[in-house]
Amino acid sequence: MWVTNLKVVGIVLGTLALYTLIANKIPQVQSEVPQTLTLGADVTPEQLVAAGEKLFNGAGGCTTCHGLGTRAPNLLTDEKGAGPIGARCGKREPGKTCKEYLFESLDQPAAYIVPGYQPIMPVMTKQLSPAQIWALIAFLESQGGTVDVTASDIPQESQPTPGASPGNPGGSFAGGSTDPMALVTAAGCLGCHKLNGTGGVIAPDLTHVGARRTADSIRRKLLDPASSIATGYEKMAGIMPKTFGTMMSAAQLEALVQFLASHK
Amino acid sequence: MADGFFFLQAAADTARAYGEFPVIGARAAVWIAAEVHLMFAAFVLGVPMFAVVTEAIGIFGKDPRYDRLSKEFTRLLLVAYSATAIWGAILVFFLATLYPRFWAYLTAIFHVSMWVYAGLFFFESFTLYLYYYGWDRWKTGRAKWGHWGLGILLNVWGTIVMLIANAWLTYMMSPPRDITPTTDPTSIKLWHAIANATWMPINVHRLIANVVFGGAIVGAYASYRFLAARTDEERAHYDWMGYVGNFIAISALIVLPFAGYWLGREIYQYDQSMGITMMGGFMSWLWVIQAFLIAVLFLTGNYYLWIGMGRIPGAERFRPYTKWLLVVLVLGALVWGTPHTMIADSQELAAMGGSHHPVLGALGVMSAKNTAVNLMILTTFLSFLMYRRANKRPVVPWARTGTLVQAAMFALAAVVVLFFGIRGYFVEAIVRIGFSVYQVGAVLSCILFVTIIDILMARGAQSLGTIQWGKMPARSQYALFVLAVTFTWLMGLMGFARSGIRMHWHVWQVVQDTSKYAATPALGYASRMISLCVLIFLSLVAFVFWLGGLAEKSTYVPGRSGEGDAPHVGH
Repeated sequence: MWVTNLKVVGIVLGTLALYTLIANKIPQVQSEVPQTLTLGADVTPEQLVAAGEKLFNGAGGCTTCHGLGTRAPNLLTDEKGAGPIGARCGKREPGKTCKEYLFESLDQPAAYIVPGYQPIMPVMTKQLSPAQIWALIAFLESQGGTVDVTASDIPQESQPTPGASPGNPGGSFAGGSTDPMALVTAAGCLGCHKLNGTGGVIAPDLTHVGARRTADSIRRKLLDPASSIATGYEKMAGIMPKTFGTMMSAAQLEALVQFLASHK
Repeated sequence: MADGFFFLQAAADTARAYGEFPVIGARAAVWIAAEVHLMFAAFVLGVPMFAVVTEAIGIFGKDPRYDRLSKEFTRLLLVAYSATAIWGAILVFFLATLYPRFWAYLTAIFHVSMWVYAGLFFFESFTLYLYYYGWDRWKTGRAKWGHWGLGILLNVWGTIVMLIANAWLTYMMSPPRDITPTTDPTSIKLWHAIANATWMPINVHRLIANVVFGGAIVGAYASYRFLAARTDEERAHYDWMGYVGNFIAISALIVLPFAGYWLGREIYQYDQSMGITMMGGFMSWLWVIQAFLIAVLFLTGNYYLWIGMGRIPGAERFRPYTKWLLVVLVLGALVWGTPHTMIADSQELAAMGGSHHPVLGALGVMSAKNTAVNLMILTTFLSFLMYRRANKRPVVPWARTGTLVQAAMFALAAVVVLFFGIRGYFVEAIVRIGFSVYQVGAVLSCILFVTIIDILMARGAQSLGTIQWGKMPARSQYALFVLAVTFTWLMGLMGFARSGIRMHWHVWQVVQDTSKYAATPALGYASRMISLCVLIFLSLVAFVFWLGGLAEKSTYVPGRSGEGDAPHVGH
């Protein structure tokens, strides 16, 4: 019987080893996460193009369909005699400059479909930050054209990466929202506090917090939870996170403070 | 005690979005817990379907052997249910502690469905206990029908549980388009989140896949018991059980690709970029591995049938054809495994001369692949048909005509598949996609009508001898093990594909993964994780089987031998 058992184990392990070996022998490709791109006011065209090229060949996922592919127009070399994308982008749509056309392609790809292709391009502004978008545009312009993207095209305060989770250094808290309920949810307040009948019971009920604390007191409590401890909750001192001051923007903090203060 | 509880509750709700897990990391911990839980869940959903069908065959056919077989399946479920629940609890604890913010997001939307899920799991467990422990008490008359009803109820509970869990994971893949990163999750209506674009295709795909999986695991169980059997009676019983398990697994496998196509189409319709990532992006190599696994399944399944024909008197007349079936299967597998569009950088694309290989590119497109897989399905069906008819000689007056009509149906289906496969090269993609419907329709129609004719033709057929159950070489049983391991591994691989196409998003384009594990790993790492999960699962299943063997020793009780295809000792 032991021989049979060993044979069975051998068959199982051998089959697993074979599949694992094959999967390890093929080219190893990992999906890349778009890195936060910080561009100063003195960013040069060369820096923009270099950042854009990295995105184009990596986390942007562009080469899946573009490049020399057949699913989408060839951007890097010739496309039906019109040259690479930098040489033809200014002539695609009447009245649109190269820069405007490329931005539209990334922001509203369905607005203009190159004849012969399907509308399969995703909205890249939902996936990449403005700095990344403009770096990509600079790279595409450099393919046979003139790079005219400058730092002034990029919003001074970069918009948050869409969907970035709170605490993400590259994004912003609650996706940048100043909706007080979104902030309450994102901060996880209801895990401990109750608000309007919903939430935990291990910290004071916030439903009427405005009646017992002023806006200043609430702000101070959010920034420094140890500054005051509600009577009866001394055992829970230290549990409330101390990081709201660094996680939220000033506008978000103020929105939350005023929201709570209004709960009288 | 209360203080400790409150502290735990509060600790779970800190400002941090991610927790750490020692040595293997948070992602691997959740991966293992989710995958092993899913494998057990598939087993405890697939086997009851199996059990209720075999019990029904026993009732309608008045054959107690099927009833005993069904009970033996159900006995395996008892311990497997506990394992499923344990791994489910581990998964929930891992999610709550390692991905607390994301878990809070999901619970904010789905908390009501989670309560329902827990309640249904309770009902399901107790229905199972009633079903199993009431087996001998309610075994005759109306009580037996009531017992069978319990089996159906068990499947109903299990299916609803699966539908609920599917809603959570498909929401992560395809949240409704009006939901954005700034949408307050508490404001999202539950049904709106449940009825997302990929929910129903996943439901159908998993339902079928669970049957395949259940059949394969039961087949492996039977093969082990066959190898360990000490008497001819036992060997006959487990040979028959292995055959039934394999038959159900392969039968369901045949329709699984069609459910897969539907799911793929829905993914493309929901978000083209997600579909392209899946089929032509960084996951493109995954499909080459998948093709290899499918090829193993088809070849091993057919191999088992061909060996099985050795114990059927009269099968010799079909043996010369098997080599040609093998040729079709191998060619089909090679075409299916030909890469389509591989992700490559500009230098690699330039070296290849485009996104497609100049020679193999023509075989890597969907026209060729659809043609190949449909022909492989037809071939496998033909193998089964030969197996089924091996020891029968039809005596109905229209037997020759019937056989000719069957052959014509095979030929017509193959011609339709080939015609649309070739025609697909000369039309636009949008037209080509529609051709797969005709190909699938031709194959399914052939399977349906040929089976009907065969059943009618077999009425009163002359027997060329009884199937010599138990007279199977050991290699046939090892083939069943290969099938079970391959099905399980394939399930892990497809789970990685489904989950991986979200890339660095917990919820596609709504909640971003900002942990250090946000990048979806390459196939090498994924394969090691899958193999580890399969090993954990199979080890635990072996333990479950061992426990099942302790509880009751199944033996074949002679009687009614020679009737039908139920076990007959090979002497």
